[in-house]
Amino acid sequence: MKKIAVRYFFDFTEKQEKWLNEMAARGFRLVRCGKLTYKFEQCAPDEYQYCVEFVGEKSYSKHKDYKKFLEGLGYHVFTKNINLNWSVGKARFRPWTAGAGKVATSPGTYNKELFIVEKKNDGKPFELHTDTEDLAAYFKILRNTYLNGAIAGIAVAVLFAVSIFTPLDLVKYPWLAMAVFGLIGVVCAVFGVKHANIAKRYKEQ
Amino acid sequence: MRDNIKGGALTETTFLVLLATCSPMHGYGIMQFIENETGGRVALGAGTLYGAISTLQKKRWIEPIGDNKNDVKKDYIITQLGKQIAADEQRRLAEISLLAERILGGGNT
Repeated sequence: MKKIAVRYFFDFTEKQEKWLNEMAARGFRLVRCGKLTYKFEQCAPDEYQYCVEFVGEKSYSKHKDYKKFLEGLGYHVFTKNINLNWSVGKARFRPWTAGAGKVATSPGTYNKELFIVEKKNDGKPFELHTDTEDLAAYFKILRNTYLNGAIAGIAVAVLFAVSIFTPLDLVKYPWLAMAVFGLIGVVCAVFGVKHANIAKRYKEQ
Repeated sequence: MRDNIKGGALTETTFLVLLATCSPMHGYGIMQFIENETGGRVALGAGTLYGAISTLQKKRWIEPIGDNKNDVKKDYIITQLGKQIAADEQRRLAEISLLAERILGGGNT
């Protein structure tokens, strides 16, 4: 039996991973994923385990190399987007990353910010990061990603707020635009702080 | 991964990967080796292992065998420099172990 689900996860690592593992526990294995859709096939309950990893900070060559490495371990790797943007021929600046990861392009690493890693269940817990130092570094990247979104969202909200009180005419409903971007910014900030705390906790260990 | 340069101490992950690559080994082999040899106490995640391999390659303590870039299962081997680093770490651990024995007494306490 096939099953198609439509979902979008703002909490793109933790929640998405939990949901995929719940689906696997019910006997559904991921076979394809699009921007918002997930296609499942029936399997034995708990036959597979899933990990969702953020790789948006990696350069194109590192991205490919890491994927190959995971596949070499016998895992199946799906790539997944964090943004909802369908455009092709896109280049985006990522100030929170290092080196060659700073520019994400489509085709390229844009819309492939996540790896959904599937492993056949061998009874052992499935984790990609196990070293506390490594975990601290990983959550720091997530923190920076969300905080970057928070700053961008709030900055745009402020711009619309300014447009309400000045002759600057940007859109028809500046209040609505301000509320939408402000909300995105605030939610990003909440996740940023959450991941900052996790990173701090690992660093102290 | 940060290894303490001044004191010479390596992280456990680094030292274990160096030991594993004393014979040519691919990623999965390194993972299995470490899990078996530590009796399951250390089970490295794939992401952590990938980070460790990248760092050690950059430091030239280990190197990939062959030049096949498209090879999914790359084998890695410890370098001369890596061997030297591992030997230093062995000496340091022996020293620490002796010190601990002197103060805490021998045996399994």
